[in-house]
Order: sequence, then C-alpha cells, then structure tokens
Amino acid sequence: MIGRRALRFALWMGLSLPSLGHAQTTPLWRSVDFARQLRDTMPQRIRVQYGAGRVDVRGADGQQLYGLHLRYDESRSVPLHGYDAEQRSALLGLESRGNAMRNASGTGESGELRLTLPRTVPLELDLTLGGTQSTLDLGAMSLRSLTLKCSATEANLLFSNPNRGRMRDIDISVGAAGLTASHLANANAEQMRIEAGVGGVDLDFSGTWTHDLAVTAQVGLGKLTLRVPPDVGLRVDVERVFAGFDHAALVKRGDGWYSANYDAAPYKLHIRAQTYFGQIEIQQTR
Amino acid sequence: MSARPRSLIYALFGLVPCVLMAQGQSRADLSRDLERLTKGERIAGVPAADSVSPGARSVPAGSTIHGTIVARGPVEVSGRVDGSVVSLAGSVTVRRGGVITGDALSVGGRVIADSGVVLGEMRSMAALPTLLGAAPMAVPVRSSAQRVTDAVRIVSVTFGVLLIIALGVLLFAGRNLDEVVATIEQRFARAFWLGVVGQVCLLPALALLIVALALSLIGILLIPFAIVAYAIACAGLLTLGFLAVARLVGGAVWHGSTGGGQSRALLALAIGIAMFFAVWMAAALFAWSPIAVGVLRAAALAATWAAITVGLGASLQSRAGTHRRVASAPRAVELAAWQTPTPVAGVVAARRHAAPAREGR
Repeated sequence: MIGRRALRFALWMGLSLPSLGHAQTTPLWRSVDFARQLRDTMPQRIRVQYGAGRVDVRGADGQQLYGLHLRYDESRSVPLHGYDAEQRSALLGLESRGNAMRNASGTGESGELRLTLPRTVPLELDLTLGGTQSTLDLGAMSLRSLTLKCSATEANLLFSNPNRGRMRDIDISVGAAGLTASHLANANAEQMRIEAGVGGVDLDFSGTWTHDLAVTAQVGLGKLTLRVPPDVGLRVDVERVFAGFDHAALVKRGDGWYSANYDAAPYKLHIRAQTYFGQIEIQQTR
Repeated sequence: MSARPRSLIYALFGLVPCVLMAQGQSRADLSRDLERLTKGERIAGVPAADSVSPGARSVPAGSTIHGTIVARGPVEVSGRVDGSVVSLAGSVTVRRGGVITGDALSVGGRVIADSGVVLGEMRSMAALPTLLGAAPMAVPVRSSAQRVTDAVRIVSVTFGVLLIIALGVLLFAGRNLDEVVATIEQRFARAFWLGVVGQVCLLPALALLIVALALSLIGILLIPFAIVAYAIACAGLLTLGFLAVARLVGGAVWHGSTGGGQSRALLALAIGIAMFFAVWMAAALFAWSPIAVGVLRAAALAATWAAITVGLGASLQSRAGTHRRVASAPRAVELAAWQTPTPVAGVVAARRHAAPAREGR
C-alpha cells in the first residue's frame, strides 16, 4: 500500500516538476510602443542601447522626436525610454536586469527594437548594440554625427538617400561581427573612422559625392573590402602586418597607392587602412 | 409564501455574494494595476482606486483638470490636463486644443494625438508590465552627490579587492614578491625602461604567439586557450609588479619594527596601496567638479602607470620573482659611519707596522 502511494507521489512529482521548471524559465514577452512629440527642430541627441535581438532604425516623416517599438522579455530586461529636456537628449532601448542570465528562453524567439527618427531634426545619433542583427537605414536624415558601437552584431548600415546637411563624423567600432555599409557617400560626412576587431567589414562608397572624404579603417583580424566608384580619386595608405593587399589598378606613388584618375577626379577619397591579419581588397566598381 | 417569490429570494441570496466577490476581485485587480502604473510605468500622481473612472472619460474643451486621470475605458481630452492620462482599457485621444502636460498611456488601445499636444511621452501597450522587481526605467540622471558616492564606492571596492589579492600574494607568493621588490630597489631605472618596453610589446607578443600557433592545426585549436592564458599571465605580472612597488613605497614611509616579517610586509603593502588609492579617492571625492576630477584623475593615473611600469619591468627582470638572483645575492657592503678608515699619513700611519719591502724591486 505504502509502495503504491510512494509510486503515485513519485509519478506526480515527475510530472509536475518539469512544468514548474518550465514556468520558471518561460520568458514574459511584452510589446510596447513609445513616442514623443516634436516641439521644435533644434538639434537633439539620441542614444540607443540594445543587447540582443533584431534592430531596425530608420528615418521617418512626421512630428515625432522618436517612435520606438520594443518587443522584449520582461523577465530579462526593462525598457529605457527617458528624455532629458535640458540636455535635449533621449536614451532609448533595453537594459538587462541584474539576473538576466537566469531565464534563457530557449524557444528561438528574439526581441525586437524598431526605431523611427525625424528627418528634419539635426541629430547626434549614438547606437550601442550587443548581439544583434541590425538594419540601419539612415538615408535622408539630418545627422550631425553617428557613433555605432557593436560587440557581436551583423550590421547593415545604409544611407539610401543623401544626408541633409554636412555630418561631422562617423565613428564605427565593431567587436566580433560583420559590418556592411552601403552608399557611404550619401552620408555627407567629413571624416569616418572604423575599428573592427574580428570579422568582415565591407564599405561601399557609392552615392552622391559633394566633397572629399577621409576614412580611417582598422581591422584586427578579417577582411576589409572597399568599394569605390571609378570616377572618385582614390588614395590608399596601407599598414599591414600579416595581411594581403589586393590593390586592383592602383599605382604606388610615394607612401600611398593612387588610382589613375586621382589628380583629375572631382572628389577624392583618402583611406588609411590598417590591418593585422586578413586581407584588404579594393574594388573600383560603379 | 408561494413558490415563485421563495425561489426569487433564494436566487438573490445566491447572487449577492457572487456580485460582492466579483466586485472585490475587480477592486483587487484595479489596485494591482495602479501599483503597476506607479512602479512599472513610473506614472506620477496615480489616484486612489476610488477616484478611477469606471468607464469612458472625457475632458471637455475649456476645462482644466489638475492631477493624473486614470479611467477603465477610453479617454478623450479636448481641454487641459495638468498631469498624465491613463486608459486601462481603451485609447487616449487628444483632440485639437487638448493638452496633456504629463504622459499619455493606453493599455489595449492607442494614443492618438495628431492634433493635440502631449508634452510627456505617449505609450501604448497590450498589458501593463509585470512587477518583477525594481529596475531603472528612466534616464539615469545622477546628482553630484550620487556621482561622488558611486566614485567613492568604486575606489573603495577596488582598494578592498586589491588588499585581498595582496594578502593572497603575500601568503602564497611572498618570496616572489620579495624578489621583485629587491629588483626594484637595486635596478630601478632598468626596471622602468623594461616596463615601458614590456607594455609596448604586450600586444605584438600576443600576435606573434597566435601566428606561431596558427602554423599547425592543433595550434589553431589552442589559440583561444593561449589568449586567455596570456591575458592571465599579463594580469598576474602587472599585479605582482604593482604590489611590489606599493610594498616598497609603504615600507619607505612606515618604519615600524613591531610584529613578524610577514605582518610588517603586509602592513607596508597595505600602506603602499592606500597611498596610491588616496589620490584616486581624492579624485572620487571631487567627482562633482569636472576640472578638479580631471586633474586629480590624471595625477592618479600617472602615479599608477609609473608604479605599474616599474613593477612590470621588475617582474619581467626577475621572471615574476622566480629568478632569485637579486634578493639572494650578497649586497654591497656599505661603509658604516662608525668605522674608522685606515690612516695613511701622520703619526698613526708612521707607527703602523709596515710590510717589508720586496727585494729586487
């Protein structure tokens, strides 16, 4: 009799404990939309922090300073959506809870951040992304500066249309990830710095050229691909340790490698490329 | 009494408790929602449950309401609300001329403010957040006092951790530390320059190691472990070197003679570390002033860098204190002040027994 009871109890425990465990590890997905009305068109600073998931940032027409859609696991993170009116600065994104590692969902679902920013307001945009898959279409915006820090991100940066006004600088820092940046001439930036630890960096300088551009690209371990339109004068200064340099039709003059049309070209691109292990490849294609 | 009124009374007796229970449940739900609004969504001035509108609510044009509005139905604002507006079940619509000075929040609906004004944030969500514990929601705008407190806390914790490491080093690698200290004492300049070279070579050496490992298939698999081991070795050398410098500095300041050798060494070490951290602490205390904190942090950084450089050089020279040549080597005999030099002239020299001159000179 006791044996049967014990067996029944054990069976009940066996059936119920996994469900309890499941209850503890089940993520609490939640979706929220945040927005803030635009009061004026004075410059603003937008900072975005996001750990893991999909990220989509793009410009939008309308009267909102930001429109943020978040889908996140409540048990692991809390939204950041503050605005400092004095500093004219907004902090958006997600912040991990202290016990973020407690609940691993294991369901294959991932969080999401979708952010729309105004095209008419001059913005200083700082993006700090963790393990994300990011699409950043920053075309036709009025960016003053762009800082992108990624740790383990597959980032696709695109300037689909020319930036409204001159951008001071673009600063990109990538940890162990792949970065593809397209139509960089549309960014209308004066200078550009790219630091990548491990991974492939693909920079496409097509778009509308309005002035010369200076680029510093450092890649620790990986491939640096530079795609330059043929009508742009190109000068490349290369520092490499254990890296190959595929310089296509460039000619060495002094310390740098020059394209044949460098002196006659209306716009010039000066790239200082450093890489330790890997390859630098230059493609002059339209 | 006929059967019909009797059954009606019975039904009433049964129904009333159910209604009361449902009301109690609803009130509990509402209280929980208000708590979630306050804590989870940081809505200020949330009214008591009694003041929550049971259904739809509207603020007519020309009217002003002071305080936060919470309704269990849709809210329409055509006037002015000096506070936030929350709909727990429906949309919040701000009509032309309508103004909300706080936030507009809709649960299960949308915030529509195309022609109205919302000075705060507009939020729409399917459900209110689950209260899992306190977590920051807004931009962390830190006051000066908070900045000072945080900086002091960081410095204190680092100091404490370093003291614990120092104790461990003294207990388990005391002889290595002695050797590094002796190396600094006797070969200071060489230690400094070696430290500078060591810092410059840290990354190239790692790169060389990776390349060497990458030459073979097994080596490629070992690269991650090699990187970790290299980082640990570097951190160990830097820590050992810094502790050696701290002990030397502490020993120079404090000349106590009480206690055993190890306790004296520990005290000297603690004083030395405290001296280095005193500058960092001063910088932390001036965290409210950007200029002062910049100057003090630069000074602290310079002092710490110098200590780490000398220490790293000495650690490399003494091979982390395992190459015990300096400490065990006989030290140069110093001429003590009380010793009288042998006279070479005068009466005493004349009286001294002279050695016989060699023949055939």
